[in-house]
Amino acid sequence: MVGITEMTNWAVDLIDVRKIYGKTIHALRGVNIQVGRGEIFGLLGPNGAGKTTLVKIMMTVVRPTHALGTLLGRPLGHRGKLAGTGYLPEDHRFPGYLTGAQLLDYYAALGKVPRSRRKVNAAKLLDRVGMSEWATTRIDKYSKGMLQRLGIAQALMNDPELMVLDEPTDGLDPVGRRDVRELLLELKSAGKTVFLNSHLLSELEMVCDRVAILVDGLVARQGTLDELTEETVEYRIAFSGDARAIQEKVEALGASLGANVITVSGHDTGKVNAMIDLLRAADLSVESVQPHRFSLEDILVQVLADQSATPVARPVHP
Amino acid sequence: MQFWALIVDSFRESVDRKIFWVLVGLTLLITLVMLSVGFAGEEVTLFFGMWSTETDRFNPLSDIGRANLVGFVVYLLASTMMGWIGVTLMIIATAGAFPAFSERGALDVVLAKPINRARLFLYKYFATMVFVVLQGTLFFVLTFLVMWLRWGVWAPGYLLSIVFLVLLFSYLYCVSVLVAVKTQSAVAAILLTLFAWVLFALIHQAPSVFETFPDLKKRRTVYVAVRVASWIPPKTGDFPYLAARWSQAGTSIDALPYFDMDTATELERTQIERARQVEEQELAKNQFYSIGSSLLFEIVVVLLAMWTFARKDY
Ligand SMILES: Nc1ncnc2c1ncn2[C@@H]1O[C@H](COP(=O)(O)OP(=O)(O)OP(=O)(O)O)[C@@H](O)[C@H]1O
Ligand SMILES: [Mg+2]
Repeated sequence: MVGITEMTNWAVDLIDVRKIYGKTIHALRGVNIQVGRGEIFGLLGPNGAGKTTLVKIMMTVVRPTHALGTLLGRPLGHRGKLAGTGYLPEDHRFPGYLTGAQLLDYYAALGKVPRSRRKVNAAKLLDRVGMSEWATTRIDKYSKGMLQRLGIAQALMNDPELMVLDEPTDGLDPVGRRDVRELLLELKSAGKTVFLNSHLLSELEMVCDRVAILVDGLVARQGTLDELTEETVEYRIAFSGDARAIQEKVEALGASLGANVITVSGHDTGKVNAMIDLLRAADLSVESVQPHRFSLEDILVQVLADQSATPVARPVHP
Repeated sequence: MQFWALIVDSFRESVDRKIFWVLVGLTLLITLVMLSVGFAGEEVTLFFGMWSTETDRFNPLSDIGRANLVGFVVYLLASTMMGWIGVTLMIIATAGAFPAFSERGALDVVLAKPINRARLFLYKYFATMVFVVLQGTLFFVLTFLVMWLRWGVWAPGYLLSIVFLVLLFSYLYCVSVLVAVKTQSAVAAILLTLFAWVLFALIHQAPSVFETFPDLKKRRTVYVAVRVASWIPPKTGDFPYLAARWSQAGTSIDALPYFDMDTATELERTQIERARQVEEQELAKNQFYSIGSSLLFEIVVVLLAMWTFARKDY
């Protein structure tokens, strides 16, 4: 049993979350994820990895097969704590007969936000997401991006402590995406916690403090961006001239030779110098030496490659 | 606050449907037709007074005349227009409410609110009836006003028909919702509900077969089984009876004084006898049994639907 003080350290603390749809679809197979308060946390993974399922379990939309842990310090599934969360589901469908302003009011009333605050927040948020002019237009006249903006406004109506966003930039144009990034950073500076799913890895890199990579229902990697990219750094030495003469020596030292570039993986500056020596000895001129950090995309691709190289045994029954 | 939010939402959903306005139009048309007919003493005028005739059967000043007038409105207009056509249209109009509400993507946000699923379900269930409450109120208040202000017939009990109409609708709506949460399909909900309606009526009528063929009563187990089975389904056929009873509408027995038993022909005598039988059957009905057993059925079906709703993944 975890102590009370320990419980409250995390905004989200998921322990051994499992979900089997029907009897055979193992969507989540024991997920452990911790999100600190005031942090922007990104969850990434390929299609069907179970990201949406995990978020739905947090928001009590889907009933887990097994789950421990806490959300805002209360056991997962605690109804009262949902008053402190905002949620933007993936592929949401809002009732078309409502106007934008009516929708915000309706959802916030269900979230027990007092009427006076609903009025103020609706006006403020519609303005914040650039939808003020559309406030009194029926939702069935909205474009996809406008729906998404409204969805984000809706999630903020109760001034939530924790925001859970499933693909928040889905359907948004580049300006809209930048707006969302700014909004997330704003929320962070106001001390709020953000948990988001996204396919757009470059976006996660720009705003997330920490990320987890979910593959096939399991967390493959988790940590700060620095932690994840630490071991995956490489140096690229560009040169001019014909290096075929030294190819064997380069490869013998564990580096790889491409067209006018030698790649040294890892934090090995000794090896980098050895390469430069080799190039200089062969009378080739070194043009540049650049450390190169892997992007999240590289890491994801690498994780996926590792997974397919060593396939995880899929239990048919738990 | 949460219940109110769902009611407001259901109201907006209702007025967004065409059928809602079709029903409003129907009610206005009926009101207009009623307005065009006038009863003053023994004089009856049609088409806003363009044509007139005399009869003592619809004299609003006599007890029998007013009972006949109210009976005409209850049996012919209210139970046919609202009880049959109206309820059918309302079933069609409301069948989509639950499938749309619990669609994947639509329900997600709502489920993530601080409200438990059972309560959410019940709130939504009752909120959807806003549609019927509005239609029923409009129809019965307007027709009540015409009777009162144009015909001079004061029948406040007639307004209770609003409650009976909502009850009748709810007996059928629970079936619609159960089908909807099981199948997510409005069409399935409509078809199965209309089918259930016919089935309820048939089961309800089944015991009368034994009255027609008394020999069948000798098969004791079958007879008892049929009688017991006829208690279970909601008493959807009782709407005109309940409405008439509370509006003090004319019933068959009221017509008796029109016949002079001594000079009545053979045909008239059999008519009177039939009227008396029907009347006795009606009076033998117990409204508490009718409403109570129907509500019991509704509660069971609603609990079943609620359970299904609460245990699903969305
Ligand atoms: N309601 C459901 N019933 C049955 N299986 C489901 C259901 N929802 C999801 N799944 C299955 O669970 C697995 C995980 O789905 P999930 O939607 O969580 O993935 P995801 O990571 O969000 O994918 P994407 O990136 O495409 O949004 C998939 O194999 C999917 O088929
Ligand atoms: Mg998803």
